[in-house]
Amino acid sequence: MNLSQKNKETINSCRFCWMCRHICPIGNATGQERNTPRARALGMSFVLRNNEKPENIINNIYECSLCGACTKECVTGWNPVAVILEARREGIFAGIVSDSIKKMIGNFEKTGNIYGITKIDTELLNEIKSLPPKSDTLLFLGKDTTYKNPQGALNAIRLLKKIGNDFTVLSDEPDSGYAIHFLVGSTAETKNLFNETAKKLDFETIIVYDPCDAKIFLREYKEWGIDVKSQIKTWTSHLAQQIENGTLKPKRTDLSLTFQDHFALARDLEETEPARKILRACGSIREMLLHGKETVFAGSLLMREYLPNEINLVAQERWNSVINSGADVVVTCSTAEYICLNENKIEQKSSVTQLLSIEELVLKCL
Amino acid sequence: MNDFLFAMIQSELEDAVGQENCSANPIDKLVHSVDYFWLSRMWADRGRRMPEADIIVSPQNAHETSAVLKIANYYKIPVTTWGAGGGTQGGAIPVCGGILLDTKRMNKIHQVNTDSMYIECGTGIIYKHLEDIANDYSYTTMHYPSSLTCSTVGGFLAHRGIGVVSTKYGKIDDMVLQIELVLPNGDIIETSPVPKHAAGPDLNQIFIGSEGTLCVMTKAQMRIYVQPEERRFRGFLFKNISDALKAGKELLQKIKPSVMRLYDEAETISIIKKIVGVSKKGAFMNIALEGIAEIVAIEEKILLDVFKKYGAEDLGNEYGEKWWKEKITFFYPGHALDLPQMFGTMDTIAPFDKIETIYWAMKESIETNFPMARFIAHFSHWYEWGAMIYDRFIVDEPPADPMEALRLHNQIWNCGVRAALANGGVLNDHHGVGIKLGRLMKEQYGSAMQVFEALKRQLDPNQILNPFKLGL
Repeated sequence: MNLSQKNKETINSCRFCWMCRHICPIGNATGQERNTPRARALGMSFVLRNNEKPENIINNIYECSLCGACTKECVTGWNPVAVILEARREGIFAGIVSDSIKKMIGNFEKTGNIYGITKIDTELLNEIKSLPPKSDTLLFLGKDTTYKNPQGALNAIRLLKKIGNDFTVLSDEPDSGYAIHFLVGSTAETKNLFNETAKKLDFETIIVYDPCDAKIFLREYKEWGIDVKSQIKTWTSHLAQQIENGTLKPKRTDLSLTFQDHFALARDLEETEPARKILRACGSIREMLLHGKETVFAGSLLMREYLPNEINLVAQERWNSVINSGADVVVTCSTAEYICLNENKIEQKSSVTQLLSIEELVLKCL
Repeated sequence: MNDFLFAMIQSELEDAVGQENCSANPIDKLVHSVDYFWLSRMWADRGRRMPEADIIVSPQNAHETSAVLKIANYYKIPVTTWGAGGGTQGGAIPVCGGILLDTKRMNKIHQVNTDSMYIECGTGIIYKHLEDIANDYSYTTMHYPSSLTCSTVGGFLAHRGIGVVSTKYGKIDDMVLQIELVLPNGDIIETSPVPKHAAGPDLNQIFIGSEGTLCVMTKAQMRIYVQPEERRFRGFLFKNISDALKAGKELLQKIKPSVMRLYDEAETISIIKKIVGVSKKGAFMNIALEGIAEIVAIEEKILLDVFKKYGAEDLGNEYGEKWWKEKITFFYPGHALDLPQMFGTMDTIAPFDKIETIYWAMKESIETNFPMARFIAHFSHWYEWGAMIYDRFIVDEPPADPMEALRLHNQIWNCGVRAALANGGVLNDHHGVGIKLGRLMKEQYGSAMQVFEALKRQLDPNQILNPFKLGL
C-alpha cells in the first residue's frame, strides 16, 4: 500500500491506541473487534510491514462509515478517516476490493448512480417537470434521495413551494461525487467528476438536500481547489433561515422532538443549530445523550448495498438512543438515516416514538 | 488438527453462535492477537506475529457461551476470553490458539433498577456505554479508570479493576452485586443475589480476578450512584513523598476523598508538568472531595488543616480541575508512553507501614540493576490502611531484537516485583496477572497457590480456559 507519510504515522499511533474504540458505530453495533479504529490501523500496520496481505484486510477497510467520530474523539489529533480513504484508493488500484464494491462502481459508470437505477420515479419526475426549468435557485436532491426516497424529494419540493421559493430541480442532476469519493477515495477520476459537476452547477444559490452531498460541495471541492460559484446552503440551514425571516411559520405543537444530527452536518460542516431552530419552532427538544458533534451514525444506503446486516444493526443501535431520550419523535435530515431508521424500528415497551424527516415535521406543523 | 476436523468443529461453533459470529478470517485472528500488553505491541511492531486463535466466536448470551464451552470441552480446545483487549498483562492473548471467545455481543442492558440502584448488563458492554446509560437516568457508575472507553464490564471484573474515584467508592468488586457466569463445563450459574452475606464464602470473590481461567462471565449487576452535588478539587505540593504519605494516612482516618493521587518528584516534573502545568519541584498531590455541598465544605476544611501540618503548599483548585479534565489525555498517543520505549506499570499495594519502603526498594533495585531504566511513580488508590503504588519503569532505547527486548522486559519485571514481594507488597493491585506475571504467582502465594490450583482442577479438568494465565 502506497500511503502518505502522514497516514503511516497515523497508523503507527492508532494501531496500539484503544482510546476511541468505544465510539465506532459499526463496532458498537456488530460487537466485532475488527470494527474499531485501532484494529483497522493494526491490520494496515501489518500490511505496511509486509506481514499481512492487503486482500485480507481490504473488506475491513470498507466497513468504516467515514463518520469521523474517532477523528473527533482523538485528543492528539490523528485522523483515521484520511487513512481509510487512502487505503480504499490503494485497494482499488490493486484491484483487490470485493465484487460488491466493483459492482457499485460499474453501476456508476453505466447509470450515473451506484445503485444502477435508470429511471426516476414517475411522480417525482412529473413534479420536477412542473417546476421552472431555470431559476436562480437549485434544489439539489442527490442520488440517494432521487432514486431511493422519491417521497422525501416530493416533500422537499412541496415544502419549498409552500414557502413560495422560486427554484429548479434538475431531472438530469449531476452527481456530487459523494459515492465515488466514499468508495475510491481521492483519485484523478474523483477530481474529474467533481470538476464536471461544478461546471454544470450554474446557479446563484444551491440548496443541498443531503448532508453527504453538502459536505462534498463545501469541504472536498474546496480542498481540491474546485470553485463552485454558487452559494451552497444546506437544507436545514435554508429552512431555519426561512423561519428566521418569517417566510416559514410552522405551528408549535406539544410534541417532544429529538434530532438525529447527521455526522457530515454536525462534524464536517459544524452545523448543529439550524435544525434545532426548526425543531424548536415545531415543538420542544429532548436531546439524545450523544448529539450535536457527538452524534452517532445511524445508517448509509451506500454501505447497505454491501453490508446490509451491519447497517441494520447500526440503525437498531441508534433507536436505543432515540428511545432513551424519551422524545415523541425522532427527526432526521438525511435520506439514508431516515430509511435505515424507518426499516429498523425496534420494539418499544411503552409509548411509540415516531420517525419524521425534517420536511415531514414542518409540513405537519403548517 | 486436520482440515476436515477443523471444518467440522467450525460448523458446530457456527451452529452455536451463528455463522456471522464465528470467524476464521485472517483479519479477525490478527486483531485478537495484540492487546495492550507491551510485549504483544513490541512483537507486532517488530514485524512478528503474536499467537493467534484458530477461530473467533462471539456469543450473544450465556446459553450460546455454554454451547461453545461444551464443544471446546469435548474436543479439548483452549478458550481465551476477550473483552475489548485493553488489558496490559496479556490476559486476553490466545497463547495456545484454539477458540477466542469475544464477549462484546453480550452488551445488552437487561435492567435499570433505580429501586436497588444497579444496572444489570451483559459483561461485553464497554464500561463507558454503561456509564452513558447511567447518565441517561441521571446516575453514574463511579467507575472512571483511564481505560473506561476501552474495556468491558467483564474485563474489569476479570482482573479486579479500579477507577480514579476508588478511595470513596471502591474497586470493581465493591461495585458488583450478582454475576451470571458459565463454568468451563458449560453450566450456567448465578452468584448469590447480594454480595454481603453469611451463606458461606462469597462466590463473587472466587470469580472476580480469575482472569478467564475459571469461568466466562456473561451478565452482571453493576451498582449506580447519585451524582455528587459537588466535586471540589485541591492541588498540593509536598516537599517529598514521605510527608505526603503521612498526610494522606492521617486524612483517611478522618474523611474519605474520592480522588487521591500523589506523584513522586520524578513524575511531578515530567508528566504532571506536561499535562497539568505544575512546574514546581516536589511531590504533587491532587485531592477531590465530593458529595453533599455542605459536607464537602467541612471536609475541605479538615483537608487543609491536616495537609498544613505536613508542610503542603496549597495550589488551589485550578490544577486539580485541570487534572480531572485531562485525566484520560494521559493515555492518548503523544501523551502516553509508547513504542519504541519499553515500559511497564508495576502496580503494587501494601499497608502504610510498608508502602514507602517498597517504593524505595523497587526504585533502587530497578535503577541499580538496570541503569538504562528510569523509574517514576504515583500513589493513586488509597485506603484507611494503605495505598497502592503505580510505579513505572521506562527504557528509552530497548534492544532492537525482539527476543532480547522480551528478555530485558521480563528481567526488569522480575526484579521490580520481587522487590515489592520481599518488602510486603503484592504482585499487582489492579492490572491483573495474565501471561505477564503468571510465573510469579507461586512466589507470592507459596503453598497457598494450591487453593487456586484445586479450584482450577475441579472446575476445569480439561484445562481449556485461558491456559497459562494467572500461573494456572
